[in-house]
Amino acid sequence: MLFTREERAGLLALAHPEELVGLADACLADGAVPRVLRAPEVGCVATQVTEPIAADRFLLGDVLAVQAEVELGGARGWSMRLGDDRAAALAAAICDAEVQARRPRAADVADLCGRVAAREATADAQEWARIAPTVVEFEELT
Amino acid sequence: MGYSGARGGLEAILAAERLVREARDDAPAPWASTEQITARFRLAVDRVQGEAGLYHEPTAAAAFRQAEGDTLEASHLVRAHRSTLPRLAVSEPVDPDEMVVLRRIVPAHRTPDGPQLLGRTTDYTGRMLEREPAGRTAPSSDASVRTDRSSNGTAPARSTEQRHPARFSAFLRSQDLLVEHPPAPDTQPFDVTRRPARPPAPRSAVLASMARAETGALVGLWYRSILGPDGDIHEVTLGEVRHGHLPLRVRHPHTGNPVQIGRFRATETEAIEDLDGADEDRTRFDVGYGLCFGHNERKAIAMANLDIACRRFGRTGPLEQLLLLTTDGLDSAGFLEHLKLPHYVTFRSMVERKQAMRATGVATDPLGRDCQ
Repeated sequence: MLFTREERAGLLALAHPEELVGLADACLADGAVPRVLRAPEVGCVATQVTEPIAADRFLLGDVLAVQAEVELGGARGWSMRLGDDRAAALAAAICDAEVQARRPRAADVADLCGRVAAREATADAQEWARIAPTVVEFEELT
Repeated sequence: MGYSGARGGLEAILAAERLVREARDDAPAPWASTEQITARFRLAVDRVQGEAGLYHEPTAAAAFRQAEGDTLEASHLVRAHRSTLPRLAVSEPVDPDEMVVLRRIVPAHRTPDGPQLLGRTTDYTGRMLEREPAGRTAPSSDASVRTDRSSNGTAPARSTEQRHPARFSAFLRSQDLLVEHPPAPDTQPFDVTRRPARPPAPRSAVLASMARAETGALVGLWYRSILGPDGDIHEVTLGEVRHGHLPLRVRHPHTGNPVQIGRFRATETEAIEDLDGADEDRTRFDVGYGLCFGHNERKAIAMANLDIACRRFGRTGPLEQLLLLTTDGLDSAGFLEHLKLPHYVTFRSMVERKQAMRATGVATDPLGRDCQ
């Protein structure tokens, strides 16, 4: 399955930490040494919204996130995910670089992205199954 | 400690703090884990996230536990924590039309475009206190079991209309019942985390201030605007009340394209205002907008009504000032709570002034009596 760079970053951002760390370890098992360009850093993403009535932008608040950047095999990998799991962010950046550098585990990274996408679709369907019975059409009293 | 000319008391302060920690952390009851708090006190956690202005459920849950359930104190803890964090990015502008709804009701119309989706609510249920149910068993941790119990686990695939219902304001616009807002210059939104908003302020400052206002303060001001002396709100029909997921995107640093790094839950409201002013288009409606982190419908509804009220009357009355200066929980509660700190020197000077006045005889005659 092929993913764009942005799709891959988005799916790795949703992968479970243990999935990412395990795959990153596998990526580095051949002895490759990543260079950490940006150590995992926890911080805020200021969230701006364009409200739909007059199209004014405003800042809703901050969302906690963590990002990291590495170089591996001559390619740079980047990740940002919600929360504060530094190890997961670093592992995701390594996975991203693995694909960018076309290294041996690139297909495994794509497989992980595919599994995450499928899992998200399942979760979405389950969520709808839970709330769909609450669709209502009230009757008007005349 | 040192404040208002008082110092010392360190041992007593530490002993007092120890009492809090011991009673809280060593209480003869099972530990309330972060997961417990997030799962079972969802609305309190969401309130803390909104009032702190930082969306991260585990952080809000930890603060709620540390604050012994005091949501305002928890918001204070989270906001203090947030102040230590760097800003990694400013998101791409979120489009609320992308919300995947978990709940969506349109009180103004029985059959709007898209479903009336009650979602998770007790709005239509009698308020009967439930003590701990007898024979209660531990819940299953298996999500599929929970799904089966609530809905047999199956439902037809969700349509686009069910996922992202068209908003009611769009219907009003299609019927030419909504005043048009000429496009304003796209200016950078006011950042209330970097500098305080003071009137006159752009609408972005008012919306941002309300988004992280203390819920009770906002509801109080909303009610004052209806029943109080100002009368800034006279029509309170709601077009939309929604709770759902919104995507969060940032620019990818290598490609420059947007990338979705996750999603957050938010509550959104549209409040319809029946324009009746002499200089207003009385053949059309206007709509106020509310949006806040998490699931907090009271806050979003109050925000939407106050948004349109502030746009109409904010500068001709006290509303804009009240919104910007009195609804932040940390501001108001911080000032209130500081009154408990020693004010010995301040009050002694007041007493001495009274005594000095009495010594000169000034205070024995009420001011102005000699003029009569």
